[in-house]
Amino acid sequence: MAVVNLQNVTYKYPLTSSLVLQDINLQIEDGEFVAIVGPNGAGKSTLCYTIAGFVPHFFKGEMTGTVEVAGIESHNSSLHEWVLNVGLAFQNPFNQISGAKYTVFEEIAFGLENIGVPRDEMLARVSEVMKLTGISDLADRSPYSLSGGQQQRVALTSILVMQPKVLVLDEPTSQMDPIGTREVFGVIRKMAEQGMTVILVEHKVEWIAQFTDRVIALKDGKILLEGPPRDVLSSLVLEENGFGISRYTSVARKATALNLWKDARLPVTLDEAAEGFAHTTAFSPKGRGE
Amino acid sequence: MKIEIRDLYFTYPTGVEALRGISLNIESGEQVAIIGQNGAGKTTLVKHLNGLLLPTSGAVQIGGWDTKNQSVAKLARRVGYVFQNPDEQLFSKNVETEVAFGPRNLKLDKEQVQILVADALAMTELSDKTETNPYDLSPTWRKMVALASVISMDTDIVVFDEPTTGQDAMSITRISNVIKTLRQRGKTVITITHDIDFCAENFERVIALSQGKVLLDGIANDVLEQEEILATTYVDPPQLTRLGKRLGFKKTVRTQEEFLTALKKERSSYLSSTTNSS
Amino acid sequence: MHERLSFFVRRDSPIHSLNPMTKVVLAFSLVLIAFSSPWYWTPLTIFLLVIVPLTLIGKVAREYWNFFFKVILPTVLVLFIMQALFLPGESKIIFDIFGLEITELSARLAFRNATRIAVMVSSFTILLLTTHPSELMSDLTRRGLPGQFAYVIISSLQIIPQMQAKAQTIISAQRSRGLDTQSSFLRRAGSLIPLVGPLVFGSLVEVEERAIAIEARGFTSPKTKTSLHEIPDTSTDKRIRWLLAAFVLISLALRLWPS
Repeated sequence: MAVVNLQNVTYKYPLTSSLVLQDINLQIEDGEFVAIVGPNGAGKSTLCYTIAGFVPHFFKGEMTGTVEVAGIESHNSSLHEWVLNVGLAFQNPFNQISGAKYTVFEEIAFGLENIGVPRDEMLARVSEVMKLTGISDLADRSPYSLSGGQQQRVALTSILVMQPKVLVLDEPTSQMDPIGTREVFGVIRKMAEQGMTVILVEHKVEWIAQFTDRVIALKDGKILLEGPPRDVLSSLVLEENGFGISRYTSVARKATALNLWKDARLPVTLDEAAEGFAHTTAFSPKGRGE
Repeated sequence: MKIEIRDLYFTYPTGVEALRGISLNIESGEQVAIIGQNGAGKTTLVKHLNGLLLPTSGAVQIGGWDTKNQSVAKLARRVGYVFQNPDEQLFSKNVETEVAFGPRNLKLDKEQVQILVADALAMTELSDKTETNPYDLSPTWRKMVALASVISMDTDIVVFDEPTTGQDAMSITRISNVIKTLRQRGKTVITITHDIDFCAENFERVIALSQGKVLLDGIANDVLEQEEILATTYVDPPQLTRLGKRLGFKKTVRTQEEFLTALKKERSSYLSSTTNSS
Repeated sequence: MHERLSFFVRRDSPIHSLNPMTKVVLAFSLVLIAFSSPWYWTPLTIFLLVIVPLTLIGKVAREYWNFFFKVILPTVLVLFIMQALFLPGESKIIFDIFGLEITELSARLAFRNATRIAVMVSSFTILLLTTHPSELMSDLTRRGLPGQFAYVIISSLQIIPQMQAKAQTIISAQRSRGLDTQSSFLRRAGSLIPLVGPLVFGSLVEVEERAIAIEARGFTSPKTKTSLHEIPDTSTDKRIRWLLAAFVLISLALRLWPS
């Protein structure tokens, strides 16, 4: 059963003339870990907002087609129902801190206060989810005293505490330094492994290739390609359309022309590249005394 | 325009000692990347180049000018600084006015300003957006406007603070092209970056900072090969460098051309060794 | 840089343990009594017999007096002098300097007005010194203050210092583009837009993202909000509030009583 179901979705923001999403057809199964890639301006953020219900309920504008997520239909629902079922986090962790709370614990409880969760349940849920995402030691810190990676994990935890059925993440590591990226990816991977339906917009192709189930390539508001990560991310279509691709893919493609890469499938990760170059060009790492 | 840094120590008013004895020179026309984890002192170091920060002890000289004796506005003639967040710079009613702000502050004459602005816009592919309000552009293009606004000042030295954060592949290519053009014009380009692949492909010299000191400083290939040392400052080597190492290449590679050249060489030497042994 | 704008000092005192609403009622009561009383000694009496003891009971004397000498006293002194010199009224002149006169009436009125202001500012200062802003807003929201209103106030306390930091970065960025921050006043006036512009526009971008973020956490949910922290409202609190209401009524009655 598809937990996310978009059919023929077209959308235009208010007071604009161009369609940001054009005839999007997308089904995502319960528990799938899907990545969305594409150049800036492709409509990735808008697609995220659509899956989370902010399009059209927050942004207004004109939308056609049907959107159904976790059993809620776009056309006869309000934003309040959506936020209970779909979690949304984005690039800038600083802008996701409410500003209304003085400690990380309170910050995470903020969402539960808003939806009227009883106090005892609130205390339990917040402690539990902080353990899950590994930030229990930050409980008494001020959200504004944290590093970028810590803030982003707090933002994620604040969303996860609401127990959404679907998690939508719009470039959560784009503004992180390497440590922050590692920390945030760690949490995301854990959520995916626990069976949460995760939709992740990202540019870091190598990571996506290793850990996601399916990749959707978006350009100019349309789905250009979708399928298994390696197939999509190493496809010529992506390179021709200005998508960010792994250097392994790019160099292997060039090596094919020089007869130095024999596999019809191009690599996206280090392991795939190392294996491919070792085999097809008959290198023997063992022969070099490794 | 040479940059000379002698025994630079800097402590913030809060008491944090951010730089602990840095000495280095950057010659005119060099392309330098500064890497290292957050808190290592990268931005602090680079803010000394245009006088935003003055040394607690030690000295920084830009083309012979001691930064202690010049205002930031004056040093702006020699050092252009592109900040990380374009929204902290942009305010004009259209792109053209924004890009002209810098050169106008330098009191250049009208014609010169026009030429410099047109040139900067062409380099950043903004020539068709001159009448647009910067805030009507996407964040990606606002970054280009911020870049153009500093390039138009035609300084000998240009500093970029995390230019590729949040940018997509095409935008990063655009930025790489800008850096290439600046190199061709003999400008000194200094970049702080987390993107190690971007660093590897565009910069010949890499300085790794850790805890306020220089950890590594040298030719990119040499620095990027030092995996263990880089790991202490949480930097992974570039993709192709890692691949080259895995495949047992003798020389460190950092660009696609270097990789393919090395690949061809290894293959032909392997082929000749197998034919010899058979 | 302060992470937040706040008067609050965490102490263990009877005043701190009072329910926030009680302290709000206390502050308003003192102000109403001080302003409604017909005798010009009343505000000073309240100051000496109520305000000062409260700062001791609340263990915030040091912070209060610090603020008093830095802000309250200078303001009130200026107020007194201005009023004493310029309030009209026919009565005996008690002081004359360079042709400016202070009459007995104007002195009395100025004294009353100045001490009224002192009581007003002081009672709210004590409120803020002894009450955590989050708890204050939480309690008021529970009693009917619109959630959005409370949010705006409380988030400003943390976000304004952040904006100050941002303003510093903007200044650095524009100086790096040659903006001269040390030249003549006129030129500096013209350089306001490059400094304020990014702050305003950049903040608008941030505000929209923050609005989405808090919306995603149910901020505008129609459900009744609950509170993580229990803010006790004891019978003592309720008795104090009734007592204060009684005092205010007496004070108003005394004023309206035909004399």
